[in-house]
Amino acid sequence: MQESALLHFTAHRLQEISLVFMAVVYSIRLYWLFRFKAGGDRQPRTGRLTTSPIKGAIYSLGNIAMPWAMESTRTNIFFWAQFVIFHLGVTAAITLSFVIPYAPGILENPVIVWLFQIFIGAAFLVGCYRMIRRIAVPVMRAISTPDDYFSLGLLTVWFFFAGLAAPNDVSRGEGLLITFFILTAFFLVYVPFSKISHYLYYPFMRYYLGRSLGYRGVYPIQRSATPENG
Amino acid sequence: MQVTERSHKAQKVIDRLQKKLNRQMVLSLAGCVHCGMCTDSCHYVLANPDDPTYAPAYKADQIRKLFKRHVDWTGRVFPWWVKAKSVYSDEDLEELKDIVFGKCTNCRRCTLNCPMGVDFATANRMARGLLVSVGVMPEGVAVVSKDQWEIGNQMGVLKEEYLETLEWMDDELQDELGVRHSLIPVDKKGAEIMYTINPREIKYDPRTIADAAKVFTLAGVDWTMPSEGWDMTNFGLFSGDDDLGGTVAKRVYEKAAELGVKRVVISECGHGYRSTRCEGPNWGGVNIGFEMESAVITMLRYIKEGKIKVDRDRNSVPVTFHDSCNNARSCGLYEEPRELIHLVCTDFREMYPNRAENYCCTGGGGAMSMSEYTPRRLKSARIKADQLRATGAKIVITSCHNCVDGLSDLIKHYNLDMEVTQLVNLVANAVVIPEKIEVMEKPAAVVHTLKGFRILVIDDEPETRTYLSTVLEDNAADTIQATDGLEGIEIARKEQPDLITLDISMPQMDGGEVFARLREDPATRGIPVCIVTGKPELRKLIYDKPYRPPEGYLDKPVEEETLVRNMRKILELASGASKEAAETL
Ligand code: SF4
Ligand code: SF4
Repeated sequence: MQESALLHFTAHRLQEISLVFMAVVYSIRLYWLFRFKAGGDRQPRTGRLTTSPIKGAIYSLGNIAMPWAMESTRTNIFFWAQFVIFHLGVTAAITLSFVIPYAPGILENPVIVWLFQIFIGAAFLVGCYRMIRRIAVPVMRAISTPDDYFSLGLLTVWFFFAGLAAPNDVSRGEGLLITFFILTAFFLVYVPFSKISHYLYYPFMRYYLGRSLGYRGVYPIQRSATPENG
Repeated sequence: MQVTERSHKAQKVIDRLQKKLNRQMVLSLAGCVHCGMCTDSCHYVLANPDDPTYAPAYKADQIRKLFKRHVDWTGRVFPWWVKAKSVYSDEDLEELKDIVFGKCTNCRRCTLNCPMGVDFATANRMARGLLVSVGVMPEGVAVVSKDQWEIGNQMGVLKEEYLETLEWMDDELQDELGVRHSLIPVDKKGAEIMYTINPREIKYDPRTIADAAKVFTLAGVDWTMPSEGWDMTNFGLFSGDDDLGGTVAKRVYEKAAELGVKRVVISECGHGYRSTRCEGPNWGGVNIGFEMESAVITMLRYIKEGKIKVDRDRNSVPVTFHDSCNNARSCGLYEEPRELIHLVCTDFREMYPNRAENYCCTGGGGAMSMSEYTPRRLKSARIKADQLRATGAKIVITSCHNCVDGLSDLIKHYNLDMEVTQLVNLVANAVVIPEKIEVMEKPAAVVHTLKGFRILVIDDEPETRTYLSTVLEDNAADTIQATDGLEGIEIARKEQPDLITLDISMPQMDGGEVFARLREDPATRGIPVCIVTGKPELRKLIYDKPYRPPEGYLDKPVEEETLVRNMRKILELASGASKEAAETL
């Protein structure tokens, strides 16, 4: 079945405009960030000689894939797992926003559609859980801003529509697909101004921290061979 | 539109915020996703689970809101959307003070538990620095910072007290080792090692100095302690004042360079090690031409190289080790202490978690100087008390003087059956004393009499002039008197005395100005000056000046014995063996 002009516009032109907008704002963001001078370590190295700034930086960047590396993830594997699921869902939904307009043939395989739906659906459930946690836990409430609630809500709703849009079946109506693409476009335009832009900062944050802690012999973290309760 | 007036101090804080930001700081302030994963890593949270204001992210947000309101993007346009908020009144600053000084020890544990890599402890230090720059800080922080600026060390230890304590420890060590000459050299040029300490050791724990001296002596190394620049602690780390940090660190570096030592050894102190070894060159913007290391590493090397022999059976009581946050989380010093413990103790019990994951002693970040927060500190120490208790050890070792105080306090508070000690004490206890002790140190020049020295007394009060001159002449010195500053400068130029005693409060030209002119003039620059004043509040007239500090400082009224002993000590350091009145043992 032929897609409508509106669907075509939201799936193509609107996405392209949003992506360009996001790229421009991100570039300005990076320019802004790099205008601040980076701090450095003048002193000679300390700590174990077996580590180095490079090792520290690599360890730091890979940290998130090593739940055993931080106490906060080691002692709360559930939290780490839902973090992984949530971000896999984001990756799947973004991928879907490219696959539908540019490589729809892929979605003719029902297994691939299910995979998309499983990843995105799980992320949707995590999003709901996260929202409940943010509202119900006093500490989370105390540290949350309207932007935190809105960003999480936006992503969770986006997952919902992404999951339903995954079959790319216009014969059942275009509403789901159009909503998914409008939400995607909004998401792309909104992220540079919201907390979701953390993924732009993430590599720099981890790199600088890791470089410094590697230089100082702290990263990679060394623990006792028999780590009871820690 | 509502126009909100901002107080002078609040405006200054906002103005200075921009200047304090570097890229890493901006990232830490912009990159928090409010996931809450750092929450349980903080000892304050664990002790106050129902109070969200202790959560690291909440505390960080109180700083972050300023950044968002004035620097970041969204918060400048839609502040309410990201909870961006400025400060307007002095009360706002007081609230911020309560958080950054009273609810965080800058231990950096949350930093290591943040998946994003938000370094809250560093941001907290920056916020402290902003508040300190406008005079908003706990009283203890103000007092300690002032002492470090003006007197040169955190505890206001005067030079005479420092040198007397070294003499006292020297005597004790001589008795212990059965040696009859000086074992604690001071200002020895060209020595291999300059040993720097925490002023707490002079005030409360001089035994650690004697123990270190014992190790150096038995290792047969060429070492010295400096008469200036001996305080390796640095309140700039706690107060966030980079200027103070740089100035204090440079005092140590400059003294080491002046003495031409190869290595500065830093006694066991976490924040001292971090400040002197790791942060000082960055704060001071200097590159260092000599090595610096912790005494822990030095002692370990001496044992490994066979320079000293140890008998670990002498330390058989069960021990555990507390990692100082500054050593472990910011300088990677955590394996060497353990290696050393295994060499000098028989029963070591690890504490969990440990190394860079250890919990703060709760006395860090200058907390011991902020008595208004003591109840909070002791409450938050519960987790540390549990950690200590679980080891079953009778002694907790720590390589940090702050931790010694923090742990001692909590041990008392939680009724733990434990003592705190440092590695230097255990090594000194375990070290085997050989039958023949070889001492590297050349005999020191000792001034026993003031005979042959000319001392210029500058004071506007005739009674004080007469008293000082009489005492000095009774001890065989020649004296010259000047009734005011100008006359004193003139005489100093012409007569080139060996030493000048200088009053601060004088009409026409105060002692601060006189001191500055003496130090500026190449003809008088090298003459040692001892301040003798009845107005200690005027100290800043001297110590605020960008010159080498005076060689001595005495409060009026000064006793005869104290005056003579100080004159001798100053002349001894200044002249070595060059005067005929300088005798050697
Ligand atoms: S763990 Fe890091 S990102 Fe999460 S709330 Fe704490 S500081 Fe923010
Ligand atoms: S630096 Fe330490 S005391 Fe401060 S918030 Fe983080 S964990 Fe708590």
